[in-house]
Amino acid sequence: MSILEDSKTRVNESRAARMKEERALLSPEDKDALIRKFHPDYKKEAYRTIQIGPNQGEQTVHELANLLEGKSPIASEAVSLSPQHQVDLLIIGGGGAGATAALTAKAAGANVLLATKLRLGDSNTVMAEGGMQVAVSAEDSPVRHFLDSLRGGYMKNDPALLKTLVEEGPEVAKWLMDIGVLFDREADGNLSIRGGGGSSKPRLLRCKDYTGLELMRVLKDCVLNEQVELLEFSPIVELLTDGEGACTGAVLKNLDNNQFIVVQAKAVILATGGIGRLHIQGFPTSNHYGATADGLPIAYRAGAKLTLQDTFQYHPTGAVYPEPMAGILVTEAIRSVGAQLVNVKGERFINEMETRDAVASAVIRECAEGRGVETSAGRRGVWLDMPMVDIVNAEGTLAHRFPNMVRQFSRYQIDIQKEPVLVYPTLHYQNGGIQINVDGESTVRNLFVAGEASGGIHGRNRLMGNSLLDIIVYGRRAGRAASKRATEIALGKLTLAHLDQFREAQKKAGVESKTVSPMLFPDYVKKN
Amino acid sequence: MSHSDSQSSLIRIEVDGAEHPVPEGITVIQAMWHLGRPTIHGVGCLGGVCGACPITYRLPDQPASKTGLACQTAVREGMAITFIPSDSSKKAIALLPKEAPTQKTLFQYYPETRRCTACRACTSVCPQEIDVMGGVRAAINGELATVAEKFTTCVMCGLCAAVCEVQIKPHRVGMYARRLTGAFYPKEATSLLHRIEEVRSGKYDAEWRELLSGDLSALAHDRVM
Ligand SMILES: Cc1cc2nc3c(=O)[nH]c(=O)nc-3n(C[C@H](O)[C@H](O)[C@H](O)COP(=O)(O)OP(=O)(O)OC[C@H]3O[C@@H](n4cnc5c(N)ncnc54)[C@H](O)[C@@H]3O)c2cc1C
Ligand code: SF4
Ligand code: SF4
Ligand code: FES
Repeated sequence: MSILEDSKTRVNESRAARMKEERALLSPEDKDALIRKFHPDYKKEAYRTIQIGPNQGEQTVHELANLLEGKSPIASEAVSLSPQHQVDLLIIGGGGAGATAALTAKAAGANVLLATKLRLGDSNTVMAEGGMQVAVSAEDSPVRHFLDSLRGGYMKNDPALLKTLVEEGPEVAKWLMDIGVLFDREADGNLSIRGGGGSSKPRLLRCKDYTGLELMRVLKDCVLNEQVELLEFSPIVELLTDGEGACTGAVLKNLDNNQFIVVQAKAVILATGGIGRLHIQGFPTSNHYGATADGLPIAYRAGAKLTLQDTFQYHPTGAVYPEPMAGILVTEAIRSVGAQLVNVKGERFINEMETRDAVASAVIRECAEGRGVETSAGRRGVWLDMPMVDIVNAEGTLAHRFPNMVRQFSRYQIDIQKEPVLVYPTLHYQNGGIQINVDGESTVRNLFVAGEASGGIHGRNRLMGNSLLDIIVYGRRAGRAASKRATEIALGKLTLAHLDQFREAQKKAGVESKTVSPMLFPDYVKKN
Repeated sequence: MSHSDSQSSLIRIEVDGAEHPVPEGITVIQAMWHLGRPTIHGVGCLGGVCGACPITYRLPDQPASKTGLACQTAVREGMAITFIPSDSSKKAIALLPKEAPTQKTLFQYYPETRRCTACRACTSVCPQEIDVMGGVRAAINGELATVAEKFTTCVMCGLCAAVCEVQIKPHRVGMYARRLTGAFYPKEATSLLHRIEEVRSGKYDAEWRELLSGDLSALAHDRVM
């Protein structure tokens, strides 16, 4: 039949030989050269200089720069700032970081309001498949976890943030288990662990390939049980400040009636998650519908500094075919148990356990140099040899360990136990974000940030499994620190003075933005 | 990204009783975008795990209606689609007990579970192909670990509860059984507890001090793999 079928046959035929092939990791020099040549982070045309605000003069991608310099949806004069809600703590974002912060703050006695864009739990957290890194085995240690993550992050991680992350990992895993998270266990009761790209020891805790779903289900259940006050379908559109640089609340928008909701709070925790739906450089994404970087422009206008805002993670294996699945993640764990990447000629071209940036670059190279496979919809990709997993391990491994993957493809009549699938890098994670300290506080007083919206922990490249850990560790820390802050201060004045300053800066720099930010939703709806 | 309407051929679908042409090969949610309908309620992850997008649909020549997730279901010729409100965040409270659960613990919060008539409706609508009724039966028999195992892949879409004639909430029973099983796991994770103790007792402090006082960048290429 087609070139596609032809090439698939070559994958099947070359399998026996490939299985015997040992492939060394790239030398640091070769890896560096590969990334510089093919990784999207190094594509100069995709970047520009930020013209105003705390990171003025630094670089980021056009898509994000436009939002950072964008216009507020609020005209200062047009909203009354008399608050409908007065709380100790306003938490924004109903993913893993926000839910964890809410639970911690509630337990600390704070009066909490949690506002989120869609429903509680609609998030990137619920989608996480591979697992959560915690150094639990005897041959492993938090120090080793630290070093792996630091190397993975190109030594750009904030060491204090990273040390706290790895050190609190074991404790946080215990906390999750105590509230009822069911990680996979060994027969002796120990946590079952698996390896991941860039990690020197296996340390991925997981619940099949539904780790994020498991975490989110339990966290959501706890938030509801603890009766945390909730505002769903109410995204933040602007922060409020006291005019002297401290955060004092936020303006939300009720999506059902388009009315603004003004919340006065002693402290605010932003946990709005990632950026995938900006489709940076035209990439498809693995992210949820609401992953539009909202926290970034909002915090930026209030004066918060960003860090590493120029680096993104393109997960090497996003689905390419069938078309409705384009961008959907094929978990890295599949590679860590033996699935190989194979080009159109049936050849392997990279050690699958390199860090994500290197593997993604290698896939892009294969396609750019004509060794990719093209689909009828015009997408390109390489093969991920799924049936190998059952061959290398045991019959039924895919079905048992990756039920989500098997089900998703089977909905389109693709049996991954029998055939390889096409993959290409998909926009997956924002490595940087809003700069925080170990308490999760940003450079704006009383504005805390937790989870993917923050930056610094992961340096220039996050290792697999470190984000689920991040959201729990820093969700708890931000929740704790912010509720403590709330006991020390009174409610502050509500102003939009920071917006006036921002507009002033726009004018001075001659920045005329047509973009309104936050974006809230990607622009998929056809205008008829 | 949202729809590939370039060369692909059009098919007809029915939404709320009205017929519309949409491109072949897209999902039901993408079809809504194509029709100019913004989606806010009824969409979340777009990846088949959040349960925000349950639908029922009928296909021509097939009398029985089917259920699915709108983000995971491709449109088909003649498909008539109805959106179902997803499971709400308002729910009864089910707290973890202080002591290890007994057979009764589940029924304290979900007494109606015992009324199951074994009609199998829940199983037949589950988009995750869970043996929902089997899970409910196991719950009635007090086999918590079995219930937990059966609901591992539940996306909490609520379709099972929506069709239960005796108002059982199988997914909530499953969730509670999972949490009980996790929180009262019969065997301890000894390595984890040991590691927590090591960190607390300062076992790594000297190593940290040495590491962090030195030049971290010197470690950049020193591979441990
Ligand atoms: C497919 C996939 C697989 C992954 N697998 C793994 C893995 O195996 N291991 C790992 O460690 N990490 C993984 N990750 C990354 C990890 O899941 C995320 O980085 C992490 O869960 C982010 O958590 P969060 O709470 O910061 O953000 P999210 O979970 O995305 O939550 C953000 C919340 O904020 C809300 N929000 C957004 N904007 C606004 C607004 N304007 N107002 C109010 N609310 C708003 C969103 O609706 C959402 O509820 C994966 C990510 C994806 C997408
Ligand atoms: S068990 Fe019920 S709530 Fe869970 S996925 Fe199946 S139908 Fe949906
Ligand atoms: S639908 Fe209700 S009554 Fe019927 S089998 Fe399921 S739980 Fe039992
Ligand atoms: S949008 Fe999450 S399951 Fe469909």
